[in-house]
Amino acid sequence: MIEYTAIIRDTAKKLLKDGKVDVFIGYKKGTVPMMNEPVVISDPEKVDTLHWDSLCGLNLCNYLTKRKDKIGIIANGCNSRNIVTHILENQISREQLYIVGIPCTGVIDHRAVLRAVGNKEVLDVQEQGDKFTVSGNGFSETFDKAKFLRTNCAVCTHRNPVIYDEMVASPVKEQEGVDPFEDVKKIEAMDPEKKWGFFTKMIERCLRCYACRNSCPLCYCPTCFVDESKPQWVGKSIDPTDTMTFHIMRAYHCAGRCTDCGACERVCPVGIPMRQFTKKLNKDALEYFSWEAGLNPDARPPLDVYKPDDYNDFVK
Amino acid sequence: MSDWEPKITTFLCHWCSYGAADLAGVSRLQYPHNFRVIRVPCSGRVSPKFILAAFRHGADGVWVSG
Amino acid sequence: MLKGLLEHIGIEPGRLNFSWISSAEATKFVDVAQQVAASVKALGPARYLIKKRAEVA
Repeated sequence: MIEYTAIIRDTAKKLLKDGKVDVFIGYKKGTVPMMNEPVVISDPEKVDTLHWDSLCGLNLCNYLTKRKDKIGIIANGCNSRNIVTHILENQISREQLYIVGIPCTGVIDHRAVLRAVGNKEVLDVQEQGDKFTVSGNGFSETFDKAKFLRTNCAVCTHRNPVIYDEMVASPVKEQEGVDPFEDVKKIEAMDPEKKWGFFTKMIERCLRCYACRNSCPLCYCPTCFVDESKPQWVGKSIDPTDTMTFHIMRAYHCAGRCTDCGACERVCPVGIPMRQFTKKLNKDALEYFSWEAGLNPDARPPLDVYKPDDYNDFVK
Repeated sequence: MSDWEPKITTFLCHWCSYGAADLAGVSRLQYPHNFRVIRVPCSGRVSPKFILAAFRHGADGVWVSG
Repeated sequence: MLKGLLEHIGIEPGRLNFSWISSAEATKFVDVAQQVAASVKALGPARYLIKKRAEVA
């Protein structure tokens, strides 16, 4: 995917020079390898900082919320679905956006890479087609990218952008025969006690740093429920009950909106797989409402509208 | 544990179930006494936070009725 | 959907109940009240998600 970088830079330069957009939002190389970061560019001379490879794991929609200017943005599958969600929720209007679509082949899980090299310090990553080479002090190893995809990318079925104004390359083939909800089904088969044990253990390490919330393109409330103090819905300590309440509510706020972009898991400093919460909701949204978030800018989300034939079995 | 009685936090809509509860009382119908009723203007007022708050404070069950 | 999530996490299905009862349906109210009480009673005391430490602001 690294070959898109030059095209992205050219496009951004053209857009900024022609005055079609005021700012261009993309990724740049991070100061630490494998940690590419978002960047907002307004000067056409600075487009060379833009970068795209298989380590661009954050979601750019966070930087769109309530902006007033004209924005150029790069969007792969999940980014574009979040743009649609933003448009639906009136956080940005379609007219303001110039979307440069990227057919994505998945993002590399930096933790898996670190594990593979025995947690040695990685100093450089080079991508060549569907392989990549990591090197550091005294070692250099080449891996298959397909084996190191993030778990959400491995089961992704929407790799191409849903809406775009131009594409940097022709669409890639969507994955077939993957079951995105395999792990959810495994948990569903447990009894309540086991489930509770599983999730309690999972969030045990949580520091309550709220990085998952801040990186999430859906979390843009001016005051988050965790910061409210009167009434205080959830305590600020790392008491297990508080942590669980936080995770339940954070996930529930994403019901019918989550695009499984994986930003929350990527930013978690202690590596909690909190997508297990949101994935259950995604599965329910699909089963009860035949809904996948962010695919259609003209359809209202299921929790937003009433239909006489809505799922109703839980009501006595 | 046989004489244990659950505490059930109950959110009743002012216009529907609260009326029904009232009518049940007026008609002298017998029903279990495990409920702690919170009257809300509409059951749409009940946010998931309320339900979690109820569980956090030790409710054994929650019943939302509109 | 909240019910689905809570069940997924391990809150037993019978703990959270929803119903629609009109203000004229006193008998239905009594009916459902008995069902709810029975289902929660059958599950026993709540074990999860109770905050045991005192709230501090």
